[in-house]
Amino acid sequence: MMEEPYRWVEAVANRREYVEQQLAGGSPIAAVSCREGILLLTLGRQRRKLFEIYDRIAMGAIGHPGDIERLRMGAIELASSEGFLRSAADVSLRRLADFGLSPLLKNSFEQVCGPPFLVRMLFAEVGRDAGSDVFLRMEYDGASHLNGGGFGGAFEHYGVVAGSVVVAGRMEHFLRSICTVEMSWEEAVGVLFHAWVLGDMGSREEKGEAEPAEVRVHALERLGVLRPEVALLERSPQPAMAWRMLPTEGLRGMMEAGLGSWVKTGS
Amino acid sequence: MSGETDWMEGGGKGGGMFAGGGAMAAFPATELGLQEGIDGDFGALLRRRGTQGWGHCGSLGAVEGGGGVTRRGGDLGWAPTEATTILAFKFSGGVLVAGDRRATAGNLVVYDRADKVLQIDGDSLMAIAGVPATAWEMARMLAHSFQFYRRTQLQELSLEGKVRALSKLLRDNLGFVLQGVGMVVPLFATYDHLAGVPRLYFYDPMGAQFEAAEYAASGSGAGAVRSVLHYVKTWGGGIREMGRGDAVVLALRALETAAENDTATGGVDRRGSVYPLVKIIGESGVQTLSERELAEVFEQQRI
Repeated sequence: MMEEPYRWVEAVANRREYVEQQLAGGSPIAAVSCREGILLLTLGRQRRKLFEIYDRIAMGAIGHPGDIERLRMGAIELASSEGFLRSAADVSLRRLADFGLSPLLKNSFEQVCGPPFLVRMLFAEVGRDAGSDVFLRMEYDGASHLNGGGFGGAFEHYGVVAGSVVVAGRMEHFLRSICTVEMSWEEAVGVLFHAWVLGDMGSREEKGEAEPAEVRVHALERLGVLRPEVALLERSPQPAMAWRMLPTEGLRGMMEAGLGSWVKTGS
Repeated sequence: MSGETDWMEGGGKGGGMFAGGGAMAAFPATELGLQEGIDGDFGALLRRRGTQGWGHCGSLGAVEGGGGVTRRGGDLGWAPTEATTILAFKFSGGVLVAGDRRATAGNLVVYDRADKVLQIDGDSLMAIAGVPATAWEMARMLAHSFQFYRRTQLQELSLEGKVRALSKLLRDNLGFVLQGVGMVVPLFATYDHLAGVPRLYFYDPMGAQFEAAEYAASGSGAGAVRSVLHYVKTWGGGIREMGRGDAVVLALRALETAAENDTATGGVDRRGSVYPLVKIIGESGVQTLSERELAEVFEQQRI
């Protein structure tokens, strides 16, 4: 196949289409900077989707459970060995992603004889203040998007992964309009849930702006069948204990309350 | 062995085979311990080689000849740095773990701000007596392995798993213990969330673990501390039902008692604001007492 470049390019394009199809149904994951740290939220049926990677690093992923698990373990091993050999302060998300995961994903994606990773990941690294928080979206082909505002782009205080670019774009559009940096995590739960609902509606029916009433109906319907999953990476003086999975009791109230107020102010 | 001596002499006399034969003669085989064979431990080897103890480290402010244990008729010896006197006991608020701040090498004070009560995870503490180089590495290893387990397996390591992990590290260290360097005799305290009770363990240098019912102590001042705690437990109204304030006072008094006749246990340096380390494990996790709080207790209780 390598002797015939056209066939290789075609194979990669087919593969891209296949992976996108597989990921399309994934329940979105959103994260924002807030006063206490970084809050991550998603809703799912059974499988856990938010994970602790290292002291200040968390991961959320959509895709095939087997692939997510392999990459999650790989990321934890890379970060842990660096942290043990040198120091926890030497573990950074940028290095983990660029030098550890990205080459692996690219190789796997472009070697068309082997299976690709069916996965799209969101990494978050909590900093000393909201300005140094890092959100990094890693694609199945090893390409990554950083929130750092490189090349004149605006700094983003949020990160999103979703089944498709359109859905992610809709969620990002909403999160861009609301500054969560000064919010408490309880308020941020409402904002993230609203973003999630917009994304989830987008993945079901590709259409334009949703009416507030529609959003609410959809949100309540989904809350009835799905389980919320919310985690906080605290700006803690003890970074090894920064990660907290928040108990589901009480979340529903925050989600509904937040939803109502964002619908009123409009998106 | 005589063959080696001949070879060394031959090299030195002839000077043809090795131009540096004379330089080699500066380290005669007897000093290298070759004629005697390898006897004794790592410390003995350093002594034979004439390696100096802490006494020559000017930055530590020690007088020459003050460092190390003199095991052979007055010559400067070498002794590993050791940290001493730690205690832990159960009271109404959980487990209190405390340690003095002194690290010694023989009769030399190496450091007076040593941290011997180390937090391993959200609700576990390890207190160390023995050689800090080994103990701190054990604590680092424990903390990393507990975190690694939690992150990869998506659940906390069980209480039994944690207690055994330390036991395994001690057992792996047995070689160093037998060589006379690196002995560590730690305490491990944690909270058992399933049973809703605090747990306290002590170990022997080989790694056997023992669960303490009420209290445990380790290090050179352990005898004094155990006497104090036994007295209070039996005739002083008991320890288990004590409130937080009384428990802190008891811990500080026990450490001061140990420091009274044990040079390896550091007392309180009020001028330098160096107080013992006191940490408490309760249901909600680990709490470290601030220096200010300890200073107040010392002041009010006239410890």
